[in-house]
Amino acid sequence: MALLELEGVSKAFGGVRAVSGVSFTVDEGELVGVMGPNGSGKTTLFNLITGALRPDAGRIRLAGRDITGWSPHRVCAEGITRTFQHVRPFAGLSALENVLVGRLYGRARERRATAAAEAERLLALVGLGGRGHVPAASLTLMDRKRLELARALATAPHLLLLDELMAGLSPVETEGVMVLLRRLQREGVTILMVEHIVWALLDLSRRVIVLSAGEKIAEGPPDAVAADPTVVDVYLGTGAGGARRA
Amino acid sequence: MSRRGWLALGVTALAALAAVPLVVRRDDVLNFLFLVLLSVALAQSWNVVAGYAGQINLGHAAFFGLGALVTRTLWIAEWPVLAGAALGALAATAFALLVGAVAFRLRGAYFAIGTLALGEILRITVGNVLPEVSTLPTATIGAYRLADRYYFALALAAVAVGVVAALERSRAGLGMQAVREDEEAAEASGVGTLRLKLLALVLSTALAGLAGGLFAYYHISYYPAHPFGPHWTFDALLITFIGGVGTVHGPVLGAIFYVFLKEYLAIRWVDFHLLIFGALFITIVLLLPGGLVEAAARLRTLARRAC
Repeated sequence: MALLELEGVSKAFGGVRAVSGVSFTVDEGELVGVMGPNGSGKTTLFNLITGALRPDAGRIRLAGRDITGWSPHRVCAEGITRTFQHVRPFAGLSALENVLVGRLYGRARERRATAAAEAERLLALVGLGGRGHVPAASLTLMDRKRLELARALATAPHLLLLDELMAGLSPVETEGVMVLLRRLQREGVTILMVEHIVWALLDLSRRVIVLSAGEKIAEGPPDAVAADPTVVDVYLGTGAGGARRA
Repeated sequence: MSRRGWLALGVTALAALAAVPLVVRRDDVLNFLFLVLLSVALAQSWNVVAGYAGQINLGHAAFFGLGALVTRTLWIAEWPVLAGAALGALAATAFALLVGAVAFRLRGAYFAIGTLALGEILRITVGNVLPEVSTLPTATIGAYRLADRYYFALALAAVAVGVVAALERSRAGLGMQAVREDEEAAEASGVGTLRLKLLALVLSTALAGLAGGLFAYYHISYYPAHPFGPHWTFDALLITFIGGVGTVHGPVLGAIFYVFLKEYLAIRWVDFHLLIFGALFITIVLLLPGGLVEAAARLRTLARRAC
């Protein structure tokens, strides 16, 4: 059975169809990439899956359970969590407290007495070991991204949604994040990630979904998708795909 | 300071304050300390919902006023004053739940303005329905002992500080702070934000209702609309910000500083003291958003560097 299943999910804002009849599945242990130009509905899709938005139509299931229209904290308790495109750690709290929130409230719902040890372990895992006391507001962008990842992992998710985790990072930092993601993959975390850094996505994932104007226009192994004329059209404009076909 | 250190400090302060009426016979000293304790309780009650859960409630006086109204009415009808205050607190929280379910659909400035309007509506309504001044019966005035009011205030201030200290270390308190920092990110991390906001409001308004009850027990004569006045909200807000919003000891420091300054200024510059507090508030928010607590921390860092 698929871990995550979307069936004809749609969402419109006024007259704009942000996401339109999107269906796909994600299996346990997979890392699936979501691509698409700006405004193609990637973040809206994430907001629908996590419950931040309610779909106009369609169903969303997690391990067979219908979670359509649930509030975000219930979706998180059920096992889906996310990071944000623009990092949003709890600035006024320490790094450790940030992770503790996820640990105490997410699917883990661990007791306070034992949660701190696991929170420390997760901080070390993302490369923030020994920096738990530092206020989140004083971390660098890279470290805030690490922290958000640790907070998300602390909720003990079945499925982790990463919204442009690598945006704004230097090539070296990007490489660091990729090492981290490979480690998470090995630990069996299922990941669905939106990424603009295409080479990273093509490197990490075995399957990619491409959105354009709210619709799924391609899905498959990265090489096949990268060669798909419709995808090339969307990224390079009409004609480019045609030229390639010819 | 360690947890034990704070506890020792708290117990010592409590014991010392409890001994004051036995040693000091001057009413002006007791009155001053009473005002500080009442301010601690009121400021801490506001600190719970605004400092921890991040919901800037500008209608806080409504709950203080309701507590005062219910307590005064029942007490004059010869109920025991503590029973009256308990029911006053209950009335305040019941009203808060009713309001909160609606008001928490508003965020940020909208919530602040919405609650401000609510407080004013209640004040005007009470002023119209009960325009007569409320004065205690002669027999009650004859039996009036300031020390009783003082001990009530001391107990309430201790409870308020205790509630905030417990919150600071609890799962719920951490969740409230997450809501304060970023509601959407808190939800995504599994925090049920509406429930926590309502919990913060209930704790906050229960304390505010009790503080209102204390006010009703203290004053011999006042207009029933007076405790609904917006200055109660702004007192709580100023004290919390001056001391350190979202901390346990901030509002305590703030209350001592504020009451002292206010009494002093009220004597020297009767007409100007509001102006001075306005300027002080703006200065603190701009230059020292963590209040006296942050100032103390900065001084400690400076001292450590100098050594």
